[in-house]
Amino acid sequence: MKHAVKSFFTFTSFVIFLLLFSSCSNENPQKVRIVIWHQKPPGEREVLESAVKKYMELHPEVKVIVLYKETEELRSAYIISAVAGKGPDIVYGPSDQIGPFEILQIIKPLEEIFDSTFIDQFDPRGLLWYKGHLYQIGDQIGNHLFLLYNKKLVPKPPKTMSELIEIGKKLTKDIDGDGKIDQYGLVWNYTEPFFFIPFLTGFGGWVMDSLGNPTLNTEATVKALNFVRELRDKYKIIPRECDYNTADALFKEGRAGMLINGPWSIGGYKKAGIDFGIARIPKVDETGLWPAPMVAIKGYSINVNVDEEKLPYVVDLFKYLVSPEVQLEHTKVLGTIPTHKIALENEIVKNDPLIQASISQMEVGKPMPVVPELRAIWDAMRPYYQAVLGGTMNAEKAAEEMQKLALKKIEEMNE
Amino acid sequence: MDKNRAKKILVDALIYVFLIVFTLVVIYPILNVISISLRPADKLLSTSLRIVPENASLNSYVQLFTRTPFLRWLLNSTLISAVVMLTGVTLASTAGYALSRFRFLGKKAVMIGILITQMFPATMLLLPLYIMLIKLHLLNSYLGVIIIYTSTALPFCVWQMKGYYDTIPVSLEEAAMIDGCNQFQAFYKVVFPLALPALVITALFSFMSAWAEYVVAAQVLQEPELYTLAIGLKQFESSMATEWGLYAAGSLIVSIPAVLLFLFLSRYLISGLTLGSVKG
Amino acid sequence: MNRKNLFILVFLLPAILIMFGVIVYPFIYNIILSFSNMSLRHFRDWRIVGLRQYVKVFSENTFYVVFLKTLIWTFVNVTFHVVIGVFLALLLNRKSLKFKPVFRTLLILPWAIPQVITALTWRSMFNYEYGAINIFIAKYLNMSPVEWLLRPFEAFTACIITNIWLGFPFMMVVALGGLQSIPNELYEAADIDGASAWQKFKNITVPFLRPVMAPAITLGIIWTFNNLNIVWLVSNGGEPSDQTHILVSYVYKAAFNLYRYGYAAALSVVIFFILLVIGIYFLKKTRAVESVY
Repeated sequence: MKHAVKSFFTFTSFVIFLLLFSSCSNENPQKVRIVIWHQKPPGEREVLESAVKKYMELHPEVKVIVLYKETEELRSAYIISAVAGKGPDIVYGPSDQIGPFEILQIIKPLEEIFDSTFIDQFDPRGLLWYKGHLYQIGDQIGNHLFLLYNKKLVPKPPKTMSELIEIGKKLTKDIDGDGKIDQYGLVWNYTEPFFFIPFLTGFGGWVMDSLGNPTLNTEATVKALNFVRELRDKYKIIPRECDYNTADALFKEGRAGMLINGPWSIGGYKKAGIDFGIARIPKVDETGLWPAPMVAIKGYSINVNVDEEKLPYVVDLFKYLVSPEVQLEHTKVLGTIPTHKIALENEIVKNDPLIQASISQMEVGKPMPVVPELRAIWDAMRPYYQAVLGGTMNAEKAAEEMQKLALKKIEEMNE
Repeated sequence: MDKNRAKKILVDALIYVFLIVFTLVVIYPILNVISISLRPADKLLSTSLRIVPENASLNSYVQLFTRTPFLRWLLNSTLISAVVMLTGVTLASTAGYALSRFRFLGKKAVMIGILITQMFPATMLLLPLYIMLIKLHLLNSYLGVIIIYTSTALPFCVWQMKGYYDTIPVSLEEAAMIDGCNQFQAFYKVVFPLALPALVITALFSFMSAWAEYVVAAQVLQEPELYTLAIGLKQFESSMATEWGLYAAGSLIVSIPAVLLFLFLSRYLISGLTLGSVKG
Repeated sequence: MNRKNLFILVFLLPAILIMFGVIVYPFIYNIILSFSNMSLRHFRDWRIVGLRQYVKVFSENTFYVVFLKTLIWTFVNVTFHVVIGVFLALLLNRKSLKFKPVFRTLLILPWAIPQVITALTWRSMFNYEYGAINIFIAKYLNMSPVEWLLRPFEAFTACIITNIWLGFPFMMVVALGGLQSIPNELYEAADIDGASAWQKFKNITVPFLRPVMAPAITLGIIWTFNNLNIVWLVSNGGEPSDQTHILVSYVYKAAFNLYRYGYAAALSVVIFFILLVIGIYFLKKTRAVESVY
């Protein structure tokens, strides 16, 4: 047993030796190190990494370090590090992270760095101007929800909600006769308010006014809430319980005719071998409005802590990252919608029916608000939206409570 | 006597049945994780209950080692955890001994103080901890995470060692000291070996608190070469497009070293080398 | 300094320095923050505002409801962890049992595998239509399926079940170690006196396990009280309708969703004092701080 203790210590001292040894392998300190934080999904990540590799081959004096962080975590980690005077040089993410970053003054206004001829190369929808400054340049627009349909089950996508319900009723059935439904007309992550927005806008509603005040206690909210509930309880074309992963699994297994999801998911359905198309989420018959999903850019910003000496290097890399070549690489692999005017005119974009359908949906979408108040609104919508679906609250009461809670949260947040 | 033996066999049989059923229930979710790792299209969920899915493939495991620097993460995590384990065992075995064997001023305060360090919600400690590490130049260094992990492992380990020492009669050391040992020798030669089961728990716990930790590691280690398994695994996650196959495969492989360590250590946890046998 | 004190100092100081060195600055930082108005709008220009954040913590009705839930969460979890853990340890410590290493190894797996994937697997097992649990209930128990994730009570139960599964192996290992400290002669002597199994358990096993289990249980209470992950993963961030939160989820939401750092710090300090009271009460009860020598 003494032997055991001894061997334990020998082992660990060996490990410590290894540790010290391995930490000595320092790289060439002459190189300029540029750090990028991003939250790109798996497929996109590889495109970015190979683009960066190419860049480093062309610029041997620069070492670029690309770090992935999950969206929420990127936001809080960036706030912590940038406020403490550190953090990455370039930060990539969805446009709504700009709201808090602007208030905390942890990103640089880009119009002071780039000249207007450079900025004019981009589609205006791909630039994020906020409070008079340009804070983010997108490498893609969209990130919006649309309707995916399994061509085997739905040859022609519905144009209106009543058509959708008709198709859905036919498709929702018990195939193997065990008394359990095993194919659904429509599935989506209906517990999350972000996925409720197309319905809200389809009935003419929106989350806030131009000043950032919540506008949730409206006729539109009530109607949209009731409509989602009716899809499940009256028309019975969506499952009893459906979160993101349930919807995803049902569509991948070919057990769902239609799905509401966004561009990030396309890769997975191709991989699963589903023959699918993309269409606009169908028109709401009552209002004649196209449901408008939230449209956002995802793009790059520059850390306020980047010093004068390093800035030229960072700017050069930044320009490369949003260049038409790199954007088109993304489009080729993932079907993202580019922001650079040259890239938008490219054949890869023009000839892809999925991208064109996605653009068509985007055209009826509404830009996602950048103000931090949106987070308070999500937090206020979530519990009451779920309460309506859980059958513990009626839609009128829920709309009223959402509004009340949103006002309270915004007040707490802004004090 | 025969009646007793029959009773014993019956009890043993019942225990076997119980253990088998219980173990099956316990490992069922893990079988599901295996199933996820074998699914071809990154599905976290499946509508079928089959453990080996249709078109099962080992692709995720292959990709894990070919497409990602998984071995590098494994090595990094092993280094960090091993050092935390060593410092944990060293510091907890000594501190626990001092707390078990001596009376001194402020001892109670120290004992409770140790627990207090664990009571503050960790979420809020992250920002000041980060600021502190920047000031100490410990960002992107293993030393930084090792110190933090050791500090989270120690409170339990120290208390646990102290508790175990308390069950070892002090007369053993007194005898040793009469035979000419000094206090340190009495500790190292007599008590330390007897506390082996507790040392095993301390080692295992220290190792585990470092092995799969994510939050601190992600904030401190921000260079790909320094990544640990937990940060690496997180790379497969993404807000809405997680690579579940890789994630599940990675998680399962991450658990193997921990289980091996337990297998190795549990020889000493349940060996016959207990107090009773030594004392007799 | 005499030899004894020097010995104590050398043995104790390194551990103390590491434990307290890491926590002191963050702790003081948070205490100060809890008296401030630090938030999104006052991130850099925050100032001390006195007890305002504390007043806010205590004037929220949900605080008391969630506090109660947290107590239930902690109590149920830790009780099951300890009971299952000790029970299994007793079984696995039986001399006549074969294949012990196999059981031991399989039973430690929930502790060894990273939590995210296992917690999400549990979530999928609770799925209304496709989850293994409902299918089992319907097929073998002939009961109607349970809406695990759609109803507050059931969802909370689902979180607890998952966390019990995750937590018992740790207690099992600690108890196994503790059982090794019991001299065999004591049981033999008790057998000669004709003691029943229960008497042996109560009069020999429990007193010897106590010093080893007490710290594990105390810390188990603290960790469970502050364990955000499982609830977050299994209930998908508080579903349904934010009914499955425990106190730390509020800290997390306030700090990271709404950037209310002063409030989050104040709530954290309150949690800290709650745990301090529970911890000291528990230690007094179990006499774990008392010295044997």
